[in-house]
Amino acid sequence: MGSFDEVHGPDGVRAHYQALMNRLAEIGDAELADRLGLLDSFFRTLGITFAVTGHEGGLERTWPMDLVPRIIPPDEWSHIESGLVQRVTVLNRFLDDLYVGGQQAINDGVIPRWLVESADGYVREAHGIPAPRGSRCVVAGIDIVRDDEGTYRVLEDNLRVPSGISYVLENRVAMTRILPVGFASHVIRPVDHYGASLLRALRAIAPPSVDDPTVVVLTPGVANSAYFEHAFLARQMGIELVEGRDLLVDDRHVFMRTTKGLKRVDVIYRRVNDEFLDPVVFRQDSLLGVPGLHGAARAGTVTIANAIGNGAVDDKGVYPYIPALIEYYLGEEPILPNVTTYLPWEPDQLEVILGRLDQLVVKPVAEAGGYGIVIGSAADEATLAATADALHSNPRGYIAQEIVQLSTHPTFVDGHLEPRHVDLRPFVLSGDRIEVVPGGLTRVAMRKGSLIVNSSQGGGSKDTWVLGNGGGHAVTPR
Amino acid sequence: MRLEIRYLNEFNYREPAWESHNLLRACPANDDHQRLIAYQVDVTPTTRVHSYTDYWGTRVDEFGIVEPHRDLRIMAESTVETATAQVPPGDATVDALATVRAELSSFLRPSPHAIWNEPIEEAARVAVGGAVDVVDVATAVSDMVTSTLDYVPGATYVGVDVADVMSQGKGVCQDFAHLGIAMYRSIGIPARYVSGYLYATEQTTAVAPDEPELSVQTHAWLEVFVPGYGWWGLDPTNAQPVGELHVKIGHGRDYQDVMPLRGVYHGGADHQLGVQVRISRERLTQMAEQ
Repeated sequence: MGSFDEVHGPDGVRAHYQALMNRLAEIGDAELADRLGLLDSFFRTLGITFAVTGHEGGLERTWPMDLVPRIIPPDEWSHIESGLVQRVTVLNRFLDDLYVGGQQAINDGVIPRWLVESADGYVREAHGIPAPRGSRCVVAGIDIVRDDEGTYRVLEDNLRVPSGISYVLENRVAMTRILPVGFASHVIRPVDHYGASLLRALRAIAPPSVDDPTVVVLTPGVANSAYFEHAFLARQMGIELVEGRDLLVDDRHVFMRTTKGLKRVDVIYRRVNDEFLDPVVFRQDSLLGVPGLHGAARAGTVTIANAIGNGAVDDKGVYPYIPALIEYYLGEEPILPNVTTYLPWEPDQLEVILGRLDQLVVKPVAEAGGYGIVIGSAADEATLAATADALHSNPRGYIAQEIVQLSTHPTFVDGHLEPRHVDLRPFVLSGDRIEVVPGGLTRVAMRKGSLIVNSSQGGGSKDTWVLGNGGGHAVTPR
Repeated sequence: MRLEIRYLNEFNYREPAWESHNLLRACPANDDHQRLIAYQVDVTPTTRVHSYTDYWGTRVDEFGIVEPHRDLRIMAESTVETATAQVPPGDATVDALATVRAELSSFLRPSPHAIWNEPIEEAARVAVGGAVDVVDVATAVSDMVTSTLDYVPGATYVGVDVADVMSQGKGVCQDFAHLGIAMYRSIGIPARYVSGYLYATEQTTAVAPDEPELSVQTHAWLEVFVPGYGWWGLDPTNAQPVGELHVKIGHGRDYQDVMPLRGVYHGGADHQLGVQVRISRERLTQMAEQ
């Protein structure tokens, strides 16, 4: 099964890539190799690193960005954008229905109750917590892949504390320095307004009675692998970066400790997971949270973004039902289809899965970051047998999917361009409206043939250019 | 039976405590089995108490004390009218549970305090034998819990694995409830944990006391789902169905969902004076004279 190549079509280089590929050919591989070295020192100087989890003691790596940007032409982007707006509209609707709306979709049989109630991320304590404007997924990261026919498909929804947007912004800055010549020949839609857009969304979901809301970013602290991004976003928005101990709750109102005394806080963009948010209600050993925060959110005096309990809906076991939910809430066909998925808890589908285990990919429903995934075609007999056992003993714990041969993109490896598999994580903001950041994070599997793009698994990234439709404006190299 | 209950929980701190946040679940439920007549919470130092109904239907009283304080006194007083024990009509078979399992899956899956292993499931199957009637099955499993565990105050700690409780063969009322819940769920019978009060001199022998007023502890038992009837309360600690001596506060998947008091605070070491629960039978004659 071949992969769709983003750059090379049946008739040679695709039109929207011609200028770029010509430029790269002019520059030549030797010069590109020099620039790659510059890129590494650029990120090292800025201190942009990330932690590879799953390693004892933690492993920090410089952010790996590839020299060759990914380009998305205007018509393709408008298709992706409308599909994302449709999907995130429904994800918000379903979450609101689940937690404050009487669970109509469940009562109407669109999705089984037991499935939602058995999702690890389903938080019963979130029942009754209001979300102004129904914007529960204030920041959503929707992972999109492109199959062998070039069809864009949604692979998974990330609705809790999706990270990666700082890399999108820094990749763009780095690119303007390393490959300024590339920008001269394209009209690229900017991404540097992200901070302003995020702040606008956060202000829009303040408790209705607040005129001029105070917004803060809540981080678990410097030990967190995404701390760089938390600090970066606070700076981009020009707001305070706080830790749990900087906040306190008095009579169901949240305050920030400042040098001038206590200051009311109205909106919290939190990058702390649900279970650590408030030790009174969730994990009692959590030192990262704010005691009483849950009560304040329930009382509606503060808005927490993303909302508590979003994990109920980005559970991989719930994912297969999103197309039906789109149909249910909007009466529309999904613009961006899912990847074909099989449900091990349905006995007939389990049989299909077990019969084709070596052709499917099996994923644990609650893991993120590419952990625990078994790609059948690449697995040995022992792994397949263990996977079959796991599916039998805990069917709710997994889904199986057709293996998507992710599209490939020329990538600068070992001194020259080679095709590597890529995906795309666009970021979608829900505030007073839904806004999609042009492009997103293109992740690339640096190992030849690998389909695992997660940065925690050795993946890299690409600057992602959405071409303007004449309406955009060129980015000036800095 | 009309009962008056006073729940009192006092803390005395050696060093001042501050920024204390608490959730109290002490209010008797108002349901088919009992009627709540009055309820009042009093906290010292004085603070605003906010109340809400949680996901499971339990009243939660939420309060915080930001200022430094050395003493904390939480008192919840209630008046409740309980009904005598009911036994569901014995016409529902375990097969009839098939239609409700998807709806009640939360009470069928393992929860943190009720994770079963082979010996637990095996004990449940032995208890059931060939029984197919849900009431018979439920009674057999509850009796199995009663005979498996000795009631030993202080034998366990909150958060102990129910499998360890099973192998140690002793525990307190929470352990009896959790082991029972684990056994029921292991054989596909929906079961939930109940927190409440018991008007009895001994938790192990729920017989109506002679004393009009008693000092007791909070108690725990369980409920199983009987098709065509609903949730039926059983108390494995004293081997009987829930009756007029039992006052239910609320239910959940296990202890975690319905803890009587949860809280955190900053500051000095805490010295808990302890929970005192006093229950008295309301003197109806006196009321009539007024």
